[in-house]
Amino acid sequence: MEILSVENLSKSYEKFALKNVSFSLDQGFIMGFIGRNGAGKTTTLKSMLRLVHPQSGKVTVLGLDYAENEFVCKQKIGFVLGGVDYYPRKKLKTITDVTKRFYQDWDEGKYLDLLQRFELDPEKRIDQLSAGMRVKYSLALALSHQAQLLILDEPTTGLDPVSRDDLLCLFQDLIEDGEHSILFSTHITSDLEKCADFITYIKDGEILVTSDKESFLGAYRLVQGSTESLTPELKVKLIGVRQHKFGFEAMVKSVDLPLPSGIEVAPADLEEIMIHIERE
Amino acid sequence: MKNLIYKEFKLAAHPTTFIFWSFGLMLLIPAYPGYVEFVYVVMSIFFIFLTGRENKDVLYTVSLPIPKQDVVKARCLMLGIIELLQIVISIPFAIIAHRLYPGGNPAGIDANVAFFGFVFAMLTVYNLVLVPSFYKTAIKIGIPFLLGLGAMIAFYFLAESLVWMPSGIRDFLDTTDPAIMTKQLPILAGGIAIWGVGWLLVYRKAAANFEKVDV
Repeated sequence: MEILSVENLSKSYEKFALKNVSFSLDQGFIMGFIGRNGAGKTTTLKSMLRLVHPQSGKVTVLGLDYAENEFVCKQKIGFVLGGVDYYPRKKLKTITDVTKRFYQDWDEGKYLDLLQRFELDPEKRIDQLSAGMRVKYSLALALSHQAQLLILDEPTTGLDPVSRDDLLCLFQDLIEDGEHSILFSTHITSDLEKCADFITYIKDGEILVTSDKESFLGAYRLVQGSTESLTPELKVKLIGVRQHKFGFEAMVKSVDLPLPSGIEVAPADLEEIMIHIERE
Repeated sequence: MKNLIYKEFKLAAHPTTFIFWSFGLMLLIPAYPGYVEFVYVVMSIFFIFLTGRENKDVLYTVSLPIPKQDVVKARCLMLGIIELLQIVISIPFAIIAHRLYPGGNPAGIDANVAFFGFVFAMLTVYNLVLVPSFYKTAIKIGIPFLLGLGAMIAFYFLAESLVWMPSGIRDFLDTTDPAIMTKQLPILAGGIAIWGVGWLLVYRKAAANFEKVDV
């Protein structure tokens, strides 16, 4: 079942525009929303949730039009902008005491379990938590109000490798029941290698690709060859080409294969795909 | 709305809000302008917006499952409660001041019925300028505060100057004579009405401004 659908979301600023952003996510999956800094990831997420006003577009959550059913939809969404960073001097128990009042399906037992599981001390203040613990606290809040869709803006940014891995494993645990889905933005490609089922790639406010991870990886190949083999016919097929004194290296779309003999072709990982696309 | 008011007082209220409520005591200072106490309440309102910005209060609140205009409604209700309590708490001190200083306050208007009517109107001037102006950005509070405070002080001088007017006006306003204070009741009623209608206008304008803001 489709848990989230975004259709033609557009938003213009003086120096930046989000152009017809569209993608969808099914229940029980993790989607990585990737793009470099300033590509429009946060603007997309905020526009989806109407924190900023999109000029056009439609967002559907669990089959409901978000704009018309904002109250119901928000009950089912856990939205985290880079971990809890509001009211840093307040204790967790104070924030929880206030927050839980707004959710009809708040499950106190589940909340206490999650505090224990994430080793969160309710007597601690927000500013006493590490970045990873802050994300976990926001997940505890979201899961306790029975959010089915978790939208996380750069949850792994600023985390050490161990905490990042810990969080990504947690994401996978959360979707195992088949009911929860996670959409998280990141510019760290290894996050996606580890846990994303789907990838949506945004560049300069436009969605370049939205597909399952394997298709995304399969759609590109790295190539390298000598300077002589870099013909004008080949050049038009290359993405993010870089020339050096021994020849060139670049990326091609798999549909453009096979290439002339003498050119080495190798699989590309997400980081290489991102680098070549952004180099264009 | 009950939950949002709870949130406002539990998370957003600044400690000075509660401390300044006790500043009704200032009415007991001999020969001291009574209106000054209410400059403190507007300071505490400024602190609420200022610390709210530092604590990302707006982002937290709009993330909750509530209509966007309720963010403004709850804030207006909270500030209205703060102002009203400041005035209500001051009344017993005004009565004590009258007992302590039967000759009245030589530094300005006596803390009488008309005085409280003017206080309601003075706070309305501040509210009308500050709150809608803040919600144009939901971030910038410095300029809205200075404009609000300036407008309020201008009103304060105007109100205070009335007791330096020819003796007819002065005798009517600057007294704690129970018979005259009864006749001052329309000024109090007018002040309360202006304050109530003022808050309604503040909410409408501020909510309309906030609706256009990208958080």
